[in-house]
Amino acid sequence: MGPIRRSLETRLAALGRVGAFAGALAWRACTPPLFGRAILGHVWSTSTRCLPPVVAVTLPFGMVVSLQGLEIFRVFGAERLLSSLVSVTVLRELAPVMASVLIAAQGGSSCAAELGAMRIKEELDATAVMAVDPLRVHVLPRLLGLALSCPLLYVAGSSAGLFGGWFTAVLVKNEPSGIFLQSLWALTTPLDIWAGVVKTVVFGLCIGLVASYHGTFATGGAAGVGRAVNDTVVHSVLVFISANYLLTSAFFGATT
Amino acid sequence: MSIIELDAVHKRFGSLVVLDGVSLAIPERETTAIVGPSGTGKSVLLKHIVGLISPDAGRVLCFGTDMGTAGEAALYAVRRRMGMLFQDGALFDSLTVGENVAFPLDHHRPDLSPTARRAIVEDTLAKVGMAGTAPRAPSSLSGGQRKRVGLARAIVSRPEIVLFDEPNSGLDPLTSDAIDALILDMKRELGVTFVVITHDIVGAVRVADHIAMLSGGRLAAWGRTAEVLSSPEPVVRAFFSRNLVLPDAPGGSARLPIVRLV
Amino acid sequence: MSRPAEPLLLRTLGGVGHYALFVAAFVRAVRRHGVPWGAVLGESYRIGVLSLPVLLVIAGFVGTNLALQGHAAFTPLGGQRLVGLFVSLAGVRELAPIIAASMVAAKAGTEMASQLGVMRIREQIDALEVMAVNPLAFLVAPRLVGILLVLPALTVLSIFVMVASGYAVAVHQLGLNGHVFLEFATTGIRPVDFLYGQIKGMIFGALICTVSCWYGYFCESGPEGVGRATNRAVVTSAVLCVALNYFLSEIMYGR
Repeated sequence: MGPIRRSLETRLAALGRVGAFAGALAWRACTPPLFGRAILGHVWSTSTRCLPPVVAVTLPFGMVVSLQGLEIFRVFGAERLLSSLVSVTVLRELAPVMASVLIAAQGGSSCAAELGAMRIKEELDATAVMAVDPLRVHVLPRLLGLALSCPLLYVAGSSAGLFGGWFTAVLVKNEPSGIFLQSLWALTTPLDIWAGVVKTVVFGLCIGLVASYHGTFATGGAAGVGRAVNDTVVHSVLVFISANYLLTSAFFGATT
Repeated sequence: MSIIELDAVHKRFGSLVVLDGVSLAIPERETTAIVGPSGTGKSVLLKHIVGLISPDAGRVLCFGTDMGTAGEAALYAVRRRMGMLFQDGALFDSLTVGENVAFPLDHHRPDLSPTARRAIVEDTLAKVGMAGTAPRAPSSLSGGQRKRVGLARAIVSRPEIVLFDEPNSGLDPLTSDAIDALILDMKRELGVTFVVITHDIVGAVRVADHIAMLSGGRLAAWGRTAEVLSSPEPVVRAFFSRNLVLPDAPGGSARLPIVRLV
Repeated sequence: MSRPAEPLLLRTLGGVGHYALFVAAFVRAVRRHGVPWGAVLGESYRIGVLSLPVLLVIAGFVGTNLALQGHAAFTPLGGQRLVGLFVSLAGVRELAPIIAASMVAAKAGTEMASQLGVMRIREQIDALEVMAVNPLAFLVAPRLVGILLVLPALTVLSIFVMVASGYAVAVHQLGLNGHVFLEFATTGIRPVDFLYGQIKGMIFGALICTVSCWYGYFCESGPEGVGRATNRAVVTSAVLCVALNYFLSEIMYGR
């Protein structure tokens, strides 16, 4: 019983620490001073850094949806449904999730690596000693940078996914482009896009929180930074995948 | 007789020239120290000798093999005859101390029985003053202890050349003296060629029969220790006089000061 | 081998070339020195144990969302019975291999990159070379064999978890008929789909392992170096797997 209880206590303590950390950051996000320029700077750098991988992932996925969708629909002669399938899949699930996975892998791990290296090299401590709040100056801008880049990259990823779907259907599989584009919006509404934006903002906050937490509390030198990066990617994906289930249920899960 | 020979070795990294035509013949069965200000390419020179780096121009010969152009088989044949102590020991964290020291034996002496190997490992650990530490993890050792175990691993297969990459780096003065004493013991006991790269002049003078001084990518001094120390060259005198009291006249001997200046 | 440092396109092409040389050197090393089979079991175990818990959770949530979204998309078309088909087809053909690959990249891949990276900066890889032990055969080969053994198994596991969680959502949250769900779920799948999933898994595994080890092997010094290597390892492997996935699917399923 002893070791189980101790492990439970350690986990609860860690959870408590995360909660306290999140609370401290939330407070700083709502009160001045907010380093707007730093935040925008991080939004820009995160977005530009994550854009290539996000597009590199959503584009092929859009293509695959088209590919597989056509294989099935051609059996039933329902090819005109293809673009609706593509847009529904891309906008509602594929783009938010895949973009966020890559943002966690690229942006989240960079954030954790940067903050981790700062922790190891005592730069966070040095900032505090100079009577400047390291959470406001170093941590919060990165967190908000991640959170705010997510919806931007969702839009980019969706576009790439839709393009990929069109590309495969029209240029590779010779479906008529007009019909494809016509039915593209048959099943989707602006609400879907808003749902995607809300999802990605939530995901971005999850990634930002997990990344800043692991980076800020990294210990143990270079190996510790590697651990922080590893943990960040995995934990943030776990967190937002479960959040995704809840949000999808809320938005799309009306029972018949 | 020299088993390590550098012949007009040039090496640059980008625009930085690290070795600018260094020629050196390291004598067999004696201890040679290569000293010089930080960043002058001493470690780079060492890596050339073991074949981790190839020169841009010139040759590095070891047991007659050109280390820069040799294929893997020839390179490994030479490396099996040498042992190297890396700066922080470079011990494998996933293995115990004993397994680390046994590593060269496990890979190159399959003829030895496990019992024989264990005996040799214990014996070697005792030699470096780490008797009984075989089951410990490298992460539990201090810097000085890691270097001792690293040295044990380097000498366990009785190599003909032992190379030391800054053996005193990162150590406090007392531990540093202890490492110097250990190197002297091993020198006496093994009687093989030692090559010591170091910025620690006092240590170099203590252990080395020959000293080579690198400065600006070139060889500023080379010869038996006493000769180098009594060299009239201003660059050499300036470098060595920082920690030693040099003789005023050539042929005299250097005195070590009572207090060590760092 | 030292890394080049120039503008992005040149660097990417140079990187690809450098990686190709690494793989070639690895193949040579294995041909000459063989695989240390003793280490393979340990590596397989570690990769599997590392990736399994995360994979099960993620596969579970993907299954739930497949069911939710499939239902939401097909209901207006009157096709809610097809939800089971949607979940199993999407799961088996595309999502299971990719999710398994992504999680293995995220867990085991970063582990490989950071382990080799730390060894590089602590000169342990140099030490292996100087002790006349080939680091590629000694370090990379067991990891590659390990991942080739483990990833296909993980792919199959994800399929089952996905369908199971999809079923749970369909029946308990959406109120659909469980039998219909399972009936449609099983009719859509051919045995060859499982085979294709395994093949995809092995190809992705080889890619993840070699890419992650490459980043770790040539890690730059300092704590940032290791962090950067692990970062790039997971992103590059994930992107390459997804891109490659399209071409594999085209070959396997395209007509």
